[in-house]
Amino acid sequence: MTDSPARTPPSGQTGAQEKKPLFTARTKSKIVDFLFVVPALALLALFTYYPVAKLVQISFTDWNLLSPTWDWVGPKNWIWLFTGSGAKYLWNSLKVTFLYSAGEIFATLVGGMILALIFSRMTRGFSAMRAILFVPKYVAMSSCAVVFMWILNTDYGVLNYFLSLVGAAPVDWLGQKSTALLSVLMTTCWRVLGYGMMIYLSAMIGISPQYYEAAALDGATRTQQFFSITLPLLSPTTLFLLVTTFLSSMKVFQSVDILTSGGPSRSTEVFVYLIYRYAMVDFRMDRAATSAVMFFLILLGITVATMKYSNNTVNYDS
Amino acid sequence: MKKTISLLLALVMLLGLCACSKSTGGQASQPPAQSSGGTENKDPAPADPGQYEVTEPITIIWWHALEDQYSADVERIVKGFNESQDLITVEAQYIGAYKDVNEALVSAHAAGSGLPAVCVANTDYVAQYGANGVFENLDPYIAGTGYDVNDFSTGLLLSSQYEGKQVAMPFLHSTQVIYYNKTMADEKGITIPEKIEDFEAFLKAGAEACGGYGTMIPGWDQWYFETLYLNEGVKIITDDNTCDLAGDTALKVTQQFRDWYDAGLIAWPFGPDASAGMRQTFYDGKTFSVMHTSSLYNNYVDKCDFEVGMAWYPAATTGGKNSEVGGCVLGIPAKNDQATKNAAWQFLQYLVGKEVNMDWAKVTGYIPTRNSVLTTDEGVKFLEEKPAFKCVFDNLNLINPRIQNAAWSELATTWKNYMDTIINQGGDVNSESEAMQEEIDEILADHG
Repeated sequence: MTDSPARTPPSGQTGAQEKKPLFTARTKSKIVDFLFVVPALALLALFTYYPVAKLVQISFTDWNLLSPTWDWVGPKNWIWLFTGSGAKYLWNSLKVTFLYSAGEIFATLVGGMILALIFSRMTRGFSAMRAILFVPKYVAMSSCAVVFMWILNTDYGVLNYFLSLVGAAPVDWLGQKSTALLSVLMTTCWRVLGYGMMIYLSAMIGISPQYYEAAALDGATRTQQFFSITLPLLSPTTLFLLVTTFLSSMKVFQSVDILTSGGPSRSTEVFVYLIYRYAMVDFRMDRAATSAVMFFLILLGITVATMKYSNNTVNYDS
Repeated sequence: MKKTISLLLALVMLLGLCACSKSTGGQASQPPAQSSGGTENKDPAPADPGQYEVTEPITIIWWHALEDQYSADVERIVKGFNESQDLITVEAQYIGAYKDVNEALVSAHAAGSGLPAVCVANTDYVAQYGANGVFENLDPYIAGTGYDVNDFSTGLLLSSQYEGKQVAMPFLHSTQVIYYNKTMADEKGITIPEKIEDFEAFLKAGAEACGGYGTMIPGWDQWYFETLYLNEGVKIITDDNTCDLAGDTALKVTQQFRDWYDAGLIAWPFGPDASAGMRQTFYDGKTFSVMHTSSLYNNYVDKCDFEVGMAWYPAATTGGKNSEVGGCVLGIPAKNDQATKNAAWQFLQYLVGKEVNMDWAKVTGYIPTRNSVLTTDEGVKFLEEKPAFKCVFDNLNLINPRIQNAAWSELATTWKNYMDTIINQGGDVNSESEAMQEEIDEILADHG
């Protein structure tokens, strides 16, 4: 019994016989993997998380962007945002932003889809027409807005000139609450329609023709083929366009700044413009930061909800 | 579940970062943007002529808002300075309108880098820049170099001060005037009214004569109409730091504007393109007159194919016919280093000097800023060249400094937006004015 070789040696005496490594191979591999992403994480933390954290911090101060000092004011700005005059402008801007966003999404998805169906022929002539439709996407928004400012001018605009030819009264497109947002959307549509078309068109090309052949053999009409094959199989593309268009439309600024400056009567004051106004016009960086954090949380919530919903509904079978 | 945990972790991380980034709460702390020492406005230092001397070659930047039409003049004037001495080289940079210059300056100030040595600023911004130390207090420079400021018009000098400190110097100044179609006025026998009571008859006559509007009142900038309220006795900011824009007198003025608008006698241009649109309407003879800044005199004269007349705003029912100073001042951003500030001070003195100022007055519609010009033969000569300016020269002592309040930018944005709602969008005068007053009171209270 005393010479049993199977006894476990006491702790601390194993090293001499078989040295156990500090990290297992798997842990080592994980550390190495992590080290590879450290530079990216550091940049992300510096340029994304830090500014967001700073915004949160400023939202609890009274900093006005100009002053070298500031004081903590607790939740004062948040109370103002939900109960003071801030609430009025918060809801107004949210309403305007979502209306604008809905318009841009509608134009990109529905308009892009219709154009993709119209311009789907792979001939040289159609290629040229597609290029013409796509080019506006690469015109700088500022240039585009300046051109539309002229097109939409009440007294000298091309649009009102054409309206006058059919006897219609001139419309103050950018100066009236009822038409200002629509005018900004017109400018946007001009830019995004071609983009939506191209994305849909490239996705349509990827759908196997066998589906259509089988459907045709079963007697399906073109309309039935579109709704039963094309549309479902384009759902990943639709999701992509929906998410990217939604996010870009929520950040709209330039066209609003140039065409209307948020007016008339704040009818085009989208959220980013509101933030800009607080910071750069009113010198209220504290309020701008509070609104920006609010906007960040709203976008975060919507993005999470969209991704959750899309996982259950998007068809990736094409 | 996994996603929820990730989201929570991300939020915790965010709040953790926030908490770690600053530990001093509850009281004034260090600047969010690093600031260089000695930038605070202080009382004038003891005069030391050597303190502000430029001893080494230096290149400095001047930010201005003079549009392309003045680029040759800007170049010529800057060249004049560069050739007048060996140490300082100035580069002039056009930034955009006053609003754009403000944005660029504020951003550079917050960042603490990329600042110009000398910068123009609309008279609107003097209070904000002064209150927050954006512009250097020039009193020590004036005292240290023995610079004589007594030749400037008192009103203009006051417009460049904040709480008694000279935070800027008068540069290109203007005031509100009415431009009208003199050719048509002479033909139809229309005269510009002296009193506001006669203004409606004038508007009707003007509208009938041109087949358009009697006048256009710029709605995009409250500066153009605030003087009409002030002259009626409206205190935009009262002594107890509230607003009186929904008071009886103010409501009367607003209702008057609305009635004229509803009758088609006036237009109330608003929005980013409003200024260009208003000018074009006048060039085309579609409005008999416009209320605008005197600085655009040359522009109107050059573009119109009829004779352009210039008149003072009509006196209010109280008899008041004051106006407010417009245009821009020159300042030295306080976060610059001392060598840059010294060079800037040299260039600034040149720019606001009598000769250069007269040069500007001749090529633009800006008014001379020096008493020694206004009251001497030079003034007479200036009037011979630009007789329309007689109305401005006759009323020089009525040009007052702007209202200086740290809440002014916010107040002005709110006011002009509500006025657009009332005039252009058909909003109810009483209820909208009350809502506006309530909002402005909140702004004023927040600024203390």
